[in-house]
Amino acid sequence: MPRVSVMAMLTLLAACQPTSAVEEQRIAEGRRLIMATGCGACHVIPGIPGAVGKVGPALDGLRDRVYLAGRVPNVPDNLAAWIQDPRAFVPNTIMPPSPLSRTEAQAVTAFLWQK
Amino acid sequence: MTKTRPPRRWRLAGTCALVGGLAAIGYLTFGGYNVAATDQHTAPIYALLDFASRRSIALRSSRVSVPAIAPEVANGRGLQLFREHCVQCHGAPGVAPASFALGLTPAPANLAATARRRKPAEVFWTMKYGLKMTAMPAWEFRLNDADIWAVTAFVGELALLSPEQYAKLVRATAPLKSSARLSAEAPTLAPDLDRARVAIQQYSCGTCHRIDGIVGAQDAVGPSLNGIGSRSYFAGALPNNRDNMIRWLTSPTTLRPHTAMPDLSVSERDARDIAAFLEQLR
Repeated sequence: MPRVSVMAMLTLLAACQPTSAVEEQRIAEGRRLIMATGCGACHVIPGIPGAVGKVGPALDGLRDRVYLAGRVPNVPDNLAAWIQDPRAFVPNTIMPPSPLSRTEAQAVTAFLWQK
Repeated sequence: MTKTRPPRRWRLAGTCALVGGLAAIGYLTFGGYNVAATDQHTAPIYALLDFASRRSIALRSSRVSVPAIAPEVANGRGLQLFREHCVQCHGAPGVAPASFALGLTPAPANLAATARRRKPAEVFWTMKYGLKMTAMPAWEFRLNDADIWAVTAFVGELALLSPEQYAKLVRATAPLKSSARLSAEAPTLAPDLDRARVAIQQYSCGTCHRIDGIVGAQDAVGPSLNGIGSRSYFAGALPNNRDNMIRWLTSPTTLRPHTAMPDLSVSERDARDIAAFLEQLR
């Protein structure tokens, strides 16, 4: 029906935003690091095979989340720092620290922050 | 084989409906409808909404049976609760509403006028269940039926009170102690999933959490509650069992002092119902 395809077109146009090549590379690196570190053992993560863990919350739509861990404002810097050392923010969280460097944590952040 | 076409007037009607539909979608999509509270409804739209609202309340409140309420209760507990919960929006004889209520559309009614126009059952129903698309909240989850009837009875009195008499009553009545401001219903035996759905909406859980089955729950202030039934832990470190969930719902800041999830005065009964509902989100 004409009505449906016009609305679908408008929605698609609104969603299209090109990502730069540098950004694409960071996202790919983030994906690799997530798989290597085993985040999926505790978290459901879209786009990561086998990431079906139910220990922590699912990480879909993380971009829209206002707080991490119920109290840390969700901006990329905080997310990267959280990934490196969650207990610096919330001492008794069960999420362990990761062996990632700052740059690696930022790549993971870039992946998790995809639209 | 020739295809038979629908008669001409059907095709015309169909085309008109399609064009009308597209025009309506276009009007809404391009922001034609003004949702500002300062922009009045047109009189016909207002009349239509008012009519629909009155008929809806009349039908649903017709099943409510009205108890007799003693005047001491109406002018005692009823007045106390009225001052605690109602006067801020509705005002009182000679008393203005608070400034935040003056900008509301639709405006909260003057309850002395309401008392003259509406039946007690209708006033009770509106107080207990609230009104969609207005600022009138539902009190079902914060006041028990006895208290809502006390306020209803006091509203009935309002039509007969002069401003002087109202002021005199207020002076003679002590304000509510904080423990007496809200009155939850007693816990029942088994958790009630249908009631849980209403409780979740009444505690505004959907303003922070995405929850399947709750319309409008779309913001991600906190984590999504979809699938929480199968999580091993929640709130960072709490093993996910019913007892912990009930403790968390009744007072998150006791378990995690700096959490962004506030204490909402969730009653024991409501926490049990909500915990049971969350358990089945797998």
